[in-house]
Amino acid sequence: MRMKLAAFLIPVTLFVFLYPSAPRLLAAQGSPPAIPRTSDGKPDLSGVWQALTTASWDIQDHAAQKGVPGGPGIVVGNEIPYQPSALERKRQNFAQRAALDPVAKCYLPGIPRLMYMPFPLQIVQTPNEIVMLFEFVHAVRFVFLTGAHPPGPIDWWMGDSRARWEGDTLVVDVVHFNDQTWFDAAGNFHSEAMHLVERYTMLGPDHIQYDVRVEDPKVFARPWDMSVVLYRRKERNAQLYDYECYAFDYEKYYPYPQMRSPQ
Amino acid sequence: MSTRLLIGAVGSLLLWAAAPLAGQQAAPKPLERLPDGQPNVQGVWGPVNAGSLSLTNPVPQAADFDPTIKPLPSRIVDPPDGKVPYQPWAAALQKEQNHYYAYPMRPEHIDPQHRCLVSGVPRLFTIMPSLRIVQSRGLIVFLWDTYQAYRVIPLDTRPHVAADVKLYMGDGRGRWEGNTLVIDTRSVKGQRLTYIGDFYSDNATIVERLTWTDANTFTYDATITDPTVFTRPWTMRLVQRRRPNEEMWEGACYEGNLDPEQFLLKSAPPPPTR
Repeated sequence: MRMKLAAFLIPVTLFVFLYPSAPRLLAAQGSPPAIPRTSDGKPDLSGVWQALTTASWDIQDHAAQKGVPGGPGIVVGNEIPYQPSALERKRQNFAQRAALDPVAKCYLPGIPRLMYMPFPLQIVQTPNEIVMLFEFVHAVRFVFLTGAHPPGPIDWWMGDSRARWEGDTLVVDVVHFNDQTWFDAAGNFHSEAMHLVERYTMLGPDHIQYDVRVEDPKVFARPWDMSVVLYRRKERNAQLYDYECYAFDYEKYYPYPQMRSPQ
Repeated sequence: MSTRLLIGAVGSLLLWAAAPLAGQQAAPKPLERLPDGQPNVQGVWGPVNAGSLSLTNPVPQAADFDPTIKPLPSRIVDPPDGKVPYQPWAAALQKEQNHYYAYPMRPEHIDPQHRCLVSGVPRLFTIMPSLRIVQSRGLIVFLWDTYQAYRVIPLDTRPHVAADVKLYMGDGRGRWEGNTLVIDTRSVKGQRLTYIGDFYSDNATIVERLTWTDANTFTYDATITDPTVFTRPWTMRLVQRRRPNEEMWEGACYEGNLDPEQFLLKSAPPPPTR
């Protein structure tokens, strides 16, 4: 009996130690999780998604402060390779973040910040364009699978997104930004020369791995990466509401008091 | 008034531009079907007679610039008199809002559209800028690059959000009846409907019927019920036609918008209306 057990255990142990991906294979019982696909066979990213991260407050590891949840950052390696002058500006941004954060002014947060804010987003996928709808200030983003970037310079809050499929990964090239958006509420910033390469990979039916490479030769010494997971909102009543950030101050004027619904 | 004149001029130009299209009598193309069975109505659309100046007198003043343009009939097809069936207090408020439209003296006189607030349903279906329809499994999405507005309509019978939740685009549920998309919308916020101060309240419900007569044309009907504001339900109608399938680009509105209170508000009362 013991001999039989040993005869079984030794090869299994050797297999696990010598074959690098064996633990994952064993855990998954030999088959990768199925992902939803569109009628043209591509991974179907459609659905309501939300990142579970405190990165919109600070993309780097950070302790809690009043009104700011602490948590791990999403910058790979946690270091952002600012050029020296840019690092000084980041420090100034941080010091004046309450007044300068574009999101505090209810401006479009831009890409990539909208992808990991604490509000849901909805992806609507068609073969030629993928539409991303954001609850925060009803932002809309078109990701085109056709055509090239229009000639610049164009200063857009959301950039111009052109995508292609590399196997089961959607790779999106984004350019034509303005210099008005931040990566987070901690003052991490970029210039209009920013270039993003995003990679969307479904880890399973309910998770998207979102990786983004940031290049900006005016601000950073070299490209750097962020990595975060988007989770499918599985609640039966999951849907986008609205967060009309700049409208709240005006709502006292519209509708008129006599038009209020009885509470 | 100069703003309205300008818009009237632009409107007449658009009418002139649309005229050759109206003359084409191509055989109607049947609608394709998408994998989930929906009629494929994706693409870019716009009203034939566009503008939210007035429901009862759409594109006013166009005839002043182009005598070949006949006055357009009211968009309101029910009641038969073509007028919004306001309750007396609401009729007075509409007149007041119209009176102060071009001469706002208080913040609430300013059309919310000038502040980049989302104009909601049905006003966004009447404006000149294009709307885009995108369909995916089990849902249909309307997008406007102007105001960066969108509206997601699930095509199932999931329950509406709670009645006391108010959303700028309302909470719509849709179903296809042949080539007609029927949308039942609740939970709207009170909205203005036109430049002349037409409005509904937070208590409105809207049933829209979008009927495709061919692959390039649909009739848009919206029936508005609001016991707070109107004496009866009423229905407006307009025709939307396919426009060139151009990419929709960013339409940031609030960012960089001058504060309308800074440059629109007047300190003296408006001159008497003619």
